[in-house]
Amino acid sequence: MDLNFIVGGPQGGGVETAGLLAVRALSMQGLEVFADREYHSNIKGKHSYSHIRASDRPVGSIKYPVDFLGALDAETMATHFHEVRKGGIVVHDAAIKKRVLTKIPSMDVRRAERLRESLKANGIGNSVGELDDWLERQGITVMAVPFGEIISERAGLSPPMIERAMNTALTSALLLSAGVPINTLVAAINVLFRDKREAAQLNAAVAKSVGEEFERIAVAREIRLPRIINTNYKKEGRKMLVAGNDAVAIGKLLGGLRLQTYYPITPAADESFTIEQHSELRNGLGETIGSPLVIQAEDEIAAICMAIGGALAGVRAATCTSGPGFSLMVEGIGWAGNNEVPVVVTYYQRGGPSTGLPTRHSQSDLLFSISSGHGEFARIVLASGSHFEALNDAIKCMNFAERYQLPVIHLLDKGIANCMTTIAPPFLNEIDRGDRFRGDGIYKRFLRGEAVSPRAYLGEEVMWYTGDEHDEIGHISEDPFVRREMYEKRMEKREKILSETKEEDKAVLIGEPDYKDLIITWGITTGAAADALTELNSFGHRVSVLQVRMMEPFPNELVESYLSEAEEVICAEANYLGQLAELIEWNCGIRLEKRVLKYTGRMITQDEIVSSFNRVKNGERRITLGGGE
Amino acid sequence: MSETSTDWNTGVWPDWCPGCGNFGIFTALKGALSELGIDRKKFVIVSGIGCSGKIPHFVNVSGVHTLHGRAIPFATGIKTANPELKVIVHGGDGDLLGIGMGHLVAMGRRNPDILVVVHNNGVYGLTKGQASPTLQLGNKTKSLAFPNINSAINPILIGMASGYTFLARSYAYNIEHLKGCLKQGISHNGAGILEVIQPCPTWNNIVTMDWIEKNTYYLENWDPNVKDDEEALEKANAIVALEHGKKKPLGILLEDGRKEPFGKRIASVYKYYATNTPAMQRVDDRGAALPVDLEKTFERFFV
Repeated sequence: MDLNFIVGGPQGGGVETAGLLAVRALSMQGLEVFADREYHSNIKGKHSYSHIRASDRPVGSIKYPVDFLGALDAETMATHFHEVRKGGIVVHDAAIKKRVLTKIPSMDVRRAERLRESLKANGIGNSVGELDDWLERQGITVMAVPFGEIISERAGLSPPMIERAMNTALTSALLLSAGVPINTLVAAINVLFRDKREAAQLNAAVAKSVGEEFERIAVAREIRLPRIINTNYKKEGRKMLVAGNDAVAIGKLLGGLRLQTYYPITPAADESFTIEQHSELRNGLGETIGSPLVIQAEDEIAAICMAIGGALAGVRAATCTSGPGFSLMVEGIGWAGNNEVPVVVTYYQRGGPSTGLPTRHSQSDLLFSISSGHGEFARIVLASGSHFEALNDAIKCMNFAERYQLPVIHLLDKGIANCMTTIAPPFLNEIDRGDRFRGDGIYKRFLRGEAVSPRAYLGEEVMWYTGDEHDEIGHISEDPFVRREMYEKRMEKREKILSETKEEDKAVLIGEPDYKDLIITWGITTGAAADALTELNSFGHRVSVLQVRMMEPFPNELVESYLSEAEEVICAEANYLGQLAELIEWNCGIRLEKRVLKYTGRMITQDEIVSSFNRVKNGERRITLGGGE
Repeated sequence: MSETSTDWNTGVWPDWCPGCGNFGIFTALKGALSELGIDRKKFVIVSGIGCSGKIPHFVNVSGVHTLHGRAIPFATGIKTANPELKVIVHGGDGDLLGIGMGHLVAMGRRNPDILVVVHNNGVYGLTKGQASPTLQLGNKTKSLAFPNINSAINPILIGMASGYTFLARSYAYNIEHLKGCLKQGISHNGAGILEVIQPCPTWNNIVTMDWIEKNTYYLENWDPNVKDDEEALEKANAIVALEHGKKKPLGILLEDGRKEPFGKRIASVYKYYATNTPAMQRVDDRGAALPVDLEKTFERFFV
């Protein structure tokens, strides 16, 4: 079972709730879900959609074409009609049938041009109704449902509520036709509107009415609804349904975070919201056993500096940001590197440069994150490839930071940040607070002899820190001997880290170890590559995926050993250069010519990995992808 | 506390120019620490960049010499994480009022228990005397190619507008007066600005000792305390009038104990904070994660 569908509408018009309702219902049905949220940097009016995938197997990506399309408005029809597979179903409100597709003011000018060309080329008229007719001719079932009438007459809602219930109506129609039982749908509504009893009841009434009426329409039109979802799937323990921002927040909370600082930025800010909402950690008796503090700083510079301040006082401290904010944090990260401060920066990449694509996906800050800051200093950059990893890595990052006394960058992307998925609950990890000073006498914060000196917190001893080069006490020194000693002390941490870190935190092989070809990737693209394996290998290929996790210090020996076993290596990532491929060449001296790249702001999808692999096999070297709206 | 001023020396040689106003601030600070009976392990000087930024290395309490303009957010992080620590900030006029001005304003909004000591010499000394934000319009100090075309800002008035609850001005060479202001500012439970007018004998040939003598005066019969809103408004108006006078007043201009400091405000929303500050909270159970009940803590994420 593998269901892909899109629900779209104007931003702020309930489309987000529609997506949340769908993922909640599907996961309550026992399915694994993976849902992408695509939205403009806008509060109300611009096109927004969720691409939701549900499967009886774990999934980490989305796939085109989709089985269903649910449209809250004409723009959704205009934008996504070409993404529906033959035999698929399109559902929209009957009231939009007369809307003119070529006169949608919120549509990007260039998108509207392409639409006009496409309508013309396919001989499609200008209205939604005419598009419906064309789709029907292509073997796609279109159901233009009078949702407004159903909501008002059958569910009994009055006018202002009708518009607001349209999302529930549409989602219900899609889910019920896919086979989700009405009871599950109502249960999901109750969860979603748990704090709004009345809204829950109204939405449940809408779902039920739509279900009945939709059924009647299908029977009347002799449409066989697919109902590919069974009544129940085997559940292995309880699952959690999280966005990546939530996953990291949960990881940080479990990992001992006690101070989170941030400045609002998409797509990172939701993480801090989640931490605030769960800031009372409870034990089995319901008692509070910890409560991390969240401070909204005046800018990202203050955010990193406050977090460093907290860390100096012995508190597990972190901040989270995206590209523009990270750019501002760089000087602070350098200070933390020079002063060996354990601080974690969660870095959700989005499209750059500058403001770029504030709400869209990108993996173009890999080289920036490993080299940001003037001068040389040791840091760890750990890139997670899934939500489950992101949660557990958030804990690991805090352990790494204190064990090695350095800044740790937890590198994520918009894909992970905003996609929602089902994960297994985390297991509680070990907490490694690193080497602590327990001695008497004069405390030397940067004691020579070891890469990592015993740490005391401010308040425990008298100590000095400075951004200048310093001696082991922490006082300024420009002496060449001191300089060399302290420089090497800091940089030698890199070898220590590589020698002590488990392989699974450096690079992970997904698939069979006796591969012939290898797709090498990182971040959320890992999901698409892993999901493509079954299909690729069913065509007779012998391909596996190598996911690189530790980007700095780079595990070149391990990566080299995997690469040397492969006949063909394809690097897939969401940027222009092929930054991981560049990093591998830099560290391993191996040039990877076959690069599958995407920089449209949309994630690489499973089907794109499959087709790209085949194209590479047919001799192409550099493939740039463009799927998704 | 019987420690003498020299007991607060680290032994690191202060590399300021002979005659630098920082020596006066250094001496007054050590005197204040001594008289206040400070626990050196619990006292943290956080500084910015420039000549003034070096001061933590000379004083035998913990020191955090940070980035240009960023001492305030470092200090805020330290103080918030561990309110048991006494935290003060030292920075120059360029550092705190130029590159770091945003943080200075933000600190007033929060009112943390931190005193900001502004070493005001009108120039960027360590980079050879460029104009700082406090250099008067039209002034041409010796490094400048042209007279200054920017108006000066007034840290006291910026501080007042930002919500600081302690405002004072002193003079680097009046050790006794400065020590008094430092003691009062350190003891004040809230955000404070202490502007210290200091000559830069190397680069500022305008704000000399002689100039300061002629252009400042000591406040007399001035009560900096306010008891209610009405009095606060009167005091604010009076401070604006004083600050627009021909000469700059020296002394404590404002001490408002009515506003809740940042720690109290945090505790009003984070109940646990009042008795368990971040620095007091355990994060592990002998190397294992705390026994957090996932379903009790993260209930809404479970399916």
